[in-house]
Amino acid sequence: MATSSSLAEAISALRRRYGDAAVRRGDDPVPAGVWATGLPVLDTTLTGGGLPLGRIAVLAGQRPGGPTGRLTLLQALLAIASRSMQVAYVDLPGTLDPGYLADLGADLRSCLVVRPPEAALGQGLAMARTLVRAGVPWVGVALGAGLGARARTWEHPLTALGEAAWSTRAVVCFSAPAPLAAPLAYASSLTLGCTPLGWHEAHGDVVGLRVHLDVLKSKVGAPGASSAALVRYPRPHAVGDVVGLPTLLPQQHGEGRRGVAPRRGTGDSPASGLSAAGEVPSPGKTAAG
Amino acid sequence: MSRVLCARFPHLGLLAAWRRHPELRAEPVVVGGAPELRLPVVAASAAAEAAGVRAGQPLREAQQRCPAAVFVALDEVAVEALQQAAIAALCTVSPAVEVGDDEAFADLSGSHAMHPSEVAWAVAVARALAVTLGEAPAAGVAGSRFVARTAARIGAPGRVRRVRDGEEAAFLAPLPLHLLPGDRAVLSRLATLGLDCAGAVASLALADMQRQFGPAGLAVHRLARGQDGEGVRPWAPPRTMAERLALDGGGVADLEALRRGARRLTESLGARLHAAALAAGSLDLHLEEEGGGAAAASRVLPAAAGNPDELWPAVLGLLGEVRPEAPVAALRLQAGQLISGGGRQLDMWTGGDARRDAVLRGVMRLQDRFGGDTLLQPGLAVDPGDLPERRGVWERAGGPQPAARRIAGARP
Repeated sequence: MATSSSLAEAISALRRRYGDAAVRRGDDPVPAGVWATGLPVLDTTLTGGGLPLGRIAVLAGQRPGGPTGRLTLLQALLAIASRSMQVAYVDLPGTLDPGYLADLGADLRSCLVVRPPEAALGQGLAMARTLVRAGVPWVGVALGAGLGARARTWEHPLTALGEAAWSTRAVVCFSAPAPLAAPLAYASSLTLGCTPLGWHEAHGDVVGLRVHLDVLKSKVGAPGASSAALVRYPRPHAVGDVVGLPTLLPQQHGEGRRGVAPRRGTGDSPASGLSAAGEVPSPGKTAAG
Repeated sequence: MSRVLCARFPHLGLLAAWRRHPELRAEPVVVGGAPELRLPVVAASAAAEAAGVRAGQPLREAQQRCPAAVFVALDEVAVEALQQAAIAALCTVSPAVEVGDDEAFADLSGSHAMHPSEVAWAVAVARALAVTLGEAPAAGVAGSRFVARTAARIGAPGRVRRVRDGEEAAFLAPLPLHLLPGDRAVLSRLATLGLDCAGAVASLALADMQRQFGPAGLAVHRLARGQDGEGVRPWAPPRTMAERLALDGGGVADLEALRRGARRLTESLGARLHAAALAAGSLDLHLEEEGGGAAAASRVLPAAAGNPDELWPAVLGLLGEVRPEAPVAALRLQAGQLISGGGRQLDMWTGGDARRDAVLRGVMRLQDRFGGDTLLQPGLAVDPGDLPERRGVWERAGGPQPAARRIAGARP
């Protein structure tokens, strides 16, 4: 008893002197501040209510080839962040459209877009690190396909970017296709899987993409949370946004993660506009990512 | 809450002429040059203005309107010296100042430790300007640039006219419409409708103004209500400072001699920067070779350098990069992206204001290393046409392209 009392005193003294994070028990949750995305569907799914500060988060496409909504989701998050802070976007695929970003509600004056020479990921990550060190508090990195084979060349810049984010408490969010490259899977503190459920249509026109979101990995809380979201594309008279959808039943989700409850309805609202289960997104809408 | 002081005084060209020729104080004076020249009037004294002379008129017309006027040339050096003196004087009493040819602005937002009230602060600013220029200004204090300028315009020299916060619309209401710096076409149409004062325009519904006149109507409506939202546009230091050193004995091919020359150049440039309280964000080193060729190298500094010791490591690095192919006749060192060496007044109410400079410096370093096209700022085209993919435009982040790294005549 005396030992545990002196241990508690020692821990208390250490925390007083070096801060609360200096000593913690193994089963204590890792203290990490979060950046609330402002999207209820994401904030309720993610541990702590948002993306972790000072860590690398990954939006991982869960289907190789074809739209998964990860890029649109990243750009929607970038747009939200740009309204309150300086943001940077490493555009390796070179597909970012300023008009589309503006339609998502971004403040373009707060956006910096990095396009490294020859789309080299290592250089792009090094540039992102410099910006994070300089004080950019929110960085998005969009990755294209085929980067896994060259993973060793960007392992070191990725680690350096993670360290810079940790020291400046910046939000670093990747959007990566499946399969996730090993260094990124290792460096990620939060991996959010994006599985397409089907196009969302209204009046015979595709207006969005329904996506299932899974917390596949989390160093800042328990993984396993999931939700369904509708990534609504910007249209001539409506801005793009991300809204929640009714939660999937486990057995429906287990079947390839493509279907939703076959609810019928008319109109444009997310709840009533769901189409039949098993619908496969067709190519042709480039923005889904 | 933003507060702006505007002080109006005679044109600096006129003040310089009076300093040079005190006997002209009571005479009608026109600044701009001899009346035979095809040049406009830059400034006119009150006696000349009473005869109908206005700035911008041809000098010949000014002579016809006021045959007794004395015509003097604009002394640009004296005007520059007066302007710098006014800036230095105002900087002692206000964190952000702006000095033009005939008016000055100072930021009076917040509070000043030595001047407990806004009136006392405004008087101190006006007095500093009067001592420097030798002429008491007419000053106005208000919540925005336009209202402060209007208050100064209708005020008398040596007086401070103060418009309290929230009283801008009431202050402007009786003033004639032509005082509003809005779209002339909109103002004349409003005048034809019988709206002859700012208050009449301010009482109109915003939606009606927008429907009738579009964005120009909205701007006029905001002005009439004293809601222009503009403040002081602070004075910025000069962008570059350079030093040149011709090496003794003609062409020099010895690296040690070049190093000594570069050291001397660094010390003189660093001393100038230090004396002007400036710091350099970038450095360019030019080696002028015998025969007319030149080699150059440039670098964005990781941290702003404002004295010889801070400049020297960067100069040494540049000296290692540059590859002259003939004996060097002269060295030229140019400091660019000059900022105030003591830092600038931070906007405490804007989040991330201190961070903005650091990010801009990071952007410039990356552009220096990877090229200007690697860091871009997205924007929207003004007139995209019919194609949706043309809506977006890309601009170079952090400002326009700097001067080319290889100077004219340099080898690639």
